[in-house]
Amino acid sequence: MTKKYKFLFVKFIAALFILNGCSNSTKFASENRDPFEKINRNVFQFNKYVDQKIISPISKTYVKKVPAKIRSGVSNHLQWMDTPNTIINSALQTDMENTILASAKFLLNGLTLGFYDLDKGETVIKKRDFGSTLARLNVSEGPFLMVPLIGPKTTRDLTGTILDRQNMATLSSNSIDDLSLAEVPINIIDKRSKMSKTLDNIYLSADPYVKVRSFYLQNRRNEIYSEKYIENKNNNLDAEFEKLLD
Amino acid sequence: MFFNVNITKSLSDNLKMGESTIQQMILEAQKHAIDTIKLEPNERSLKIELLIKKYINLDFMSKATTGSFWKKASETQKEKYKVALLKQIVLTIEEHLNTLATLSYKPTKSERRGEKLIYVRGLIEDPNKKKPDINLLWKLAANKNGSFLILDLEIEGISLVSSQKAEAVSILRKNRGNFDILLSKMSRDN
Repeated sequence: MTKKYKFLFVKFIAALFILNGCSNSTKFASENRDPFEKINRNVFQFNKYVDQKIISPISKTYVKKVPAKIRSGVSNHLQWMDTPNTIINSALQTDMENTILASAKFLLNGLTLGFYDLDKGETVIKKRDFGSTLARLNVSEGPFLMVPLIGPKTTRDLTGTILDRQNMATLSSNSIDDLSLAEVPINIIDKRSKMSKTLDNIYLSADPYVKVRSFYLQNRRNEIYSEKYIENKNNNLDAEFEKLLD
Repeated sequence: MFFNVNITKSLSDNLKMGESTIQQMILEAQKHAIDTIKLEPNERSLKIELLIKKYINLDFMSKATTGSFWKKASETQKEKYKVALLKQIVLTIEEHLNTLATLSYKPTKSERRGEKLIYVRGLIEDPNKKKPDINLLWKLAANKNGSFLILDLEIEGISLVSSQKAEAVSILRKNRGNFDILLSKMSRDN
């Protein structure tokens, strides 16, 4: 990494942290905290256009032409490539069980470069990233962002994603780095093919942007806060439901 | 002591009723998926609509998804909203009905929440183990006749009522609570 690039990178991460700091410090921020909604909506329109014109047709052809076994292998490999992030972040979150399980699975499946899941899905690993590590350090999730070509994120998760990418670049050799660059578009197409029905349904809804925001935030908070968050959310919803039933 | 035994009995009865409501609905939905496959799309939708109406509390869902704006809507707007919401649910179920027929449902845990609510948890499993399990949580409450109806469904922690509420309230807020605009946006996507 050149000096100039490093400096810009540090500045960008600092800016994201400042954005987080400007937000209020409640851990479970309200779903409606979207100060950049106007810009976000424009970015969403751009992403939707790219998705409908480029990504979706490619993904449909991919599903149609590539046999399911090969697609499953590619999907397994992409998950395997992402496992070091889970290992590092599980360790940082002192989740030793997940660190050990993820390491064992990474080594085992490494025998096939991750293309084949040798333990046949028996070992369940919780996916961990730097966004979830920041959440464990009580960093607030910050405002909601719609990132061009990437999609929905909170400032905390965007910071996490950039740092995860940086981790991978530092860990891997140049050749693996080149390989992972080639894998970015494959990853997008693989993910799109799995979410085909859901995304097409979202585009048909009354306000697709709000639906994406709602799905993303609910899903992300469930992933990060697990039991504690779900119980907190359900208690609030229960009270609301009981009132409406009266 | 006797009173306590009665309370425990009615609690377990309620949980059983909640669980059997979901089991019954899943069985009917799977049967529907097979029986209606050769029907015309309109006929199929109508059959699914009848099935859903039997198991969900549409009045509650309509109130819950529009928040404080519900009180400001006229009776006609309320009825139109219920129809539009039902249509959206039917469309969602229709798309997943064929998949449901190939998967199996396994109840996992149910619990009483507060005074009126019951949570029924379950898993959608792929018998061939090619797809990951999907966690479901059904929230139910008894109606005036004592039968249990569904208030909300959470798929992998994503609440359908919360998502619909976020969408409807956002449109209503932007349009000063004008239900007609919300209805026109909903009918456009139907």
